[in-house]
Amino acid sequence: MTPAARQGGRLPDRATALAILAALVCAAPVFAVAWIAVTGETGDYLAHLARTRLPVYLVNSALVAAIAAGGAGLIGTVLGWLVARTEFPGRALFSWVLILPLAVPAYVAAYAWLDLSQAGGPLHAATAGLFPTVRGAWGAGLMFALVLYPYVYLLARDTFTGQSADAYNAARTLGAGPFSAFARTSLPMARPALAAGLALVIMESLADYGTVSYLGAPTLSIGLVRAWSGAGSLVDAARLSLILVAVALIVFGLERAQRSRARSHAASGRHRPAPRFHLSRTQGLAAALACLIPLALGLIVPLARLGWLALNEQPAPNLLPASWHSLTLAAISAVLAAGLGLSTAYALRGRTFIATASARAAGLGYAVPGAVAAVGVIAILSGTQALIDPAWQSVTGEVFPVLLTGAAAALIFAYLSRFAAAAIGPSEAALARVTPALDGAARTLGATRGETVRRVHWPLIAAGITSAGLLVFVEVLKELPATMILRPFNYDTLAIIAHNYASDERLGEAALPSLLIPLVALLPMIFVARYLSRARSSSGQV
Amino acid sequence: MTDTHTRRGLSIRGAQRRYVKETAALAGADLDLEPGRITALLGPSGSGKSTLLRAIAGLERLDGGEIRLGDTVWAGPGRHLAPERRRVGMVFQDYALFPHLDALANVAFGLKGPDARTIAMAQLEAAELGHKAKAFPHELSGGEQQRVALARALAPAPAIVLLDEPFSGLDRRLRQELRERTVDTLRRAGATALMVTHDADEAMAVADALALMDQGRVIQTGAPEHVWTHPHSVTAARLLGDIEVIEAFIKAGAAGTPLGPVATPDFKNGCTVYVLVRPQAIRLTPSADGAFTVTRRRSAGTHLAFTIANAEGQSFTTHTPVPSTLAVGDRVDVELDEAFVTVVGA
Repeated sequence: MTPAARQGGRLPDRATALAILAALVCAAPVFAVAWIAVTGETGDYLAHLARTRLPVYLVNSALVAAIAAGGAGLIGTVLGWLVARTEFPGRALFSWVLILPLAVPAYVAAYAWLDLSQAGGPLHAATAGLFPTVRGAWGAGLMFALVLYPYVYLLARDTFTGQSADAYNAARTLGAGPFSAFARTSLPMARPALAAGLALVIMESLADYGTVSYLGAPTLSIGLVRAWSGAGSLVDAARLSLILVAVALIVFGLERAQRSRARSHAASGRHRPAPRFHLSRTQGLAAALACLIPLALGLIVPLARLGWLALNEQPAPNLLPASWHSLTLAAISAVLAAGLGLSTAYALRGRTFIATASARAAGLGYAVPGAVAAVGVIAILSGTQALIDPAWQSVTGEVFPVLLTGAAAALIFAYLSRFAAAAIGPSEAALARVTPALDGAARTLGATRGETVRRVHWPLIAAGITSAGLLVFVEVLKELPATMILRPFNYDTLAIIAHNYASDERLGEAALPSLLIPLVALLPMIFVARYLSRARSSSGQV
Repeated sequence: MTDTHTRRGLSIRGAQRRYVKETAALAGADLDLEPGRITALLGPSGSGKSTLLRAIAGLERLDGGEIRLGDTVWAGPGRHLAPERRRVGMVFQDYALFPHLDALANVAFGLKGPDARTIAMAQLEAAELGHKAKAFPHELSGGEQQRVALARALAPAPAIVLLDEPFSGLDRRLRQELRERTVDTLRRAGATALMVTHDADEAMAVADALALMDQGRVIQTGAPEHVWTHPHSVTAARLLGDIEVIEAFIKAGAAGTPLGPVATPDFKNGCTVYVLVRPQAIRLTPSADGAFTVTRRRSAGTHLAFTIANAEGQSFTTHTPVPSTLAVGDRVDVELDEAFVTVVGA
């Protein structure tokens, strides 16, 4: 090969190497968990657990996931349809504002709602005890529905927007009324997209720790954290993890399958976009109100309540270092995840088998709940330590510095393994706008490889990559279970101190850190929401 | 625009390109582009014509052979000149306009220096798109996008202009209008151009020279009319339109066909040949005891297509100028116009 030819191959090769790294980072913890679970010694903890708490965990998990999916599905589908297919006051604004509740961690919403609705709370008092206390599996499911519905909403909105009017019109000419035509054409055509959104909601609810622990609905995640932090058994934690991963993988598989079906259903949709229904004045106001209610319940009310509580309390002393840790962890993870996502997307451009396999393996990480990722990281680090220790000691005569404790790197490893996948999809979508012909056009017009990246690629993908990174930033800011398991001693984040105060019934002190998470997350979330809403409306060919 | 950059022709010798696990996309293609002329590259899909175009642009590496412009080697053993250093202008099938840049910035992309925007604006105005300078690609119609793409390719005064099926995304009326406009623009610029197409009519309408491609090789080149009337092979003949292929045996200096004998001065007696007959070659005269019967009559606008069959069940299609009184069931005699008949070795 000529020197020029080798130079030509360098960029994709480097990208492929990084894609493989991303796959390793994302998939290694799951494999480590599986390894430990299979090869570890059999203790009686798990047998004991199976007789006692495991059925409760399973029932709660199923209940919470079902309520979350039902609620989020209803809210997301209705709002998605309203925004996509009708015209009403404030529609353009709601189109992206409705995504913002994603900035609120479910456990933060839970703190506010339990405080409002419990005996002695303002809502309880105002309704003379008629308003039920938000608690238990249904309360947790409701909280998830309120903050996770945007996953369904986003996919529903884009599907209903892209749907061709032809099928609906054909149904009308065949004698179906407006509602029947919707139920028999538009809704079934949107079903794969809605199912994909629901799968995301279910995976997130199963991965949650803070909400279900605070509202008293112990799910599998709780069992997992207890097995590690209470019983201290890595093997038992790994075995519980496997159950959780199995469930998550089933849901994940469903999501992937439905997503590819969603794509095929939308394939012929672009040509004749349906005109929006013009609602009457009353109908329009009703539609605006329908958008306002979930926004109020999921975002405005919780933040207002926590804001009010925070005003009446001295800030906790550890708030500043915790904020700093949260910000730096989230920022570093976001940059690294965006880098891995972008590299994987570039590698995928080469259409090689290894790139595709890497991207799929990295995608698996998204199905792995944070607690499981944390257990996996522990397994990997302690395994590595066990390998290095004897050799290190025989050479240096000293004990090898402990890998596990004191390393924020372990945390970032776990975050990346869970969230890097979240950056791959958006990066891929952003880079899909850069067709090979655009490269060819730039090169034949005299731009070098580097200039092509700078003048053509970057302007086209910058917003997408930024939004992918910001999404990871928000997720890491909200993350609780992995942080709890992996954090070094005395190393606090906002999520940790909020959870610790709230668990100690010191909600006043929990209020400010709880409030800070969504407040910090809101700005990046606005960027993401606007990007996701603009990218759809203007780019005809994407 | 100066003429200096059009003086040198492009020559391609034995160009080879293989993709992994696939048959060769280019299997030793030869082609010469004469300065200031428009050449159409015609071939079925998968014949390697787009690959050849991309190899000339430098977007595809050759595994063998050579491409040179005048004395400058663009591609050859151990050499691959980067696309940005070849000064080719390329119009892509989907136009590949930069979606983040407006029309003016698209045209100015390949220009450097303080005059870039002025030159770009002049190009846009020449394309009658001055009023769309601030419009983004998605705000332009298909035809306007094509004109911006051509203006962008021509703006840096390239040595060669390459067009990859530049009209494929357009409807028929627009296609014809843009075809003429594109040819005018290329001629005004004095450009040396190579246009890939799979449409024979389009190729013959635009080109000064025609190059036919099949299975990674250029199988025939020449002036459009000449290639159409004198195809070198059955494949070449079929690429340019409907043709009847009759296998025949040569006896007494002529090939015997059901349509009558065809003189074969270039072949020896006793050989088997293919006689290639364009539908226009078959003249029909009504005759009560004619050897053929009209079995089908179809109007095709400018002409009538008749299907005729003889007693042995051999049938042929003819094109006859309108009007004609012949109807299905009429008996006819046939006569061949040898200007539309070619004989090639079997």
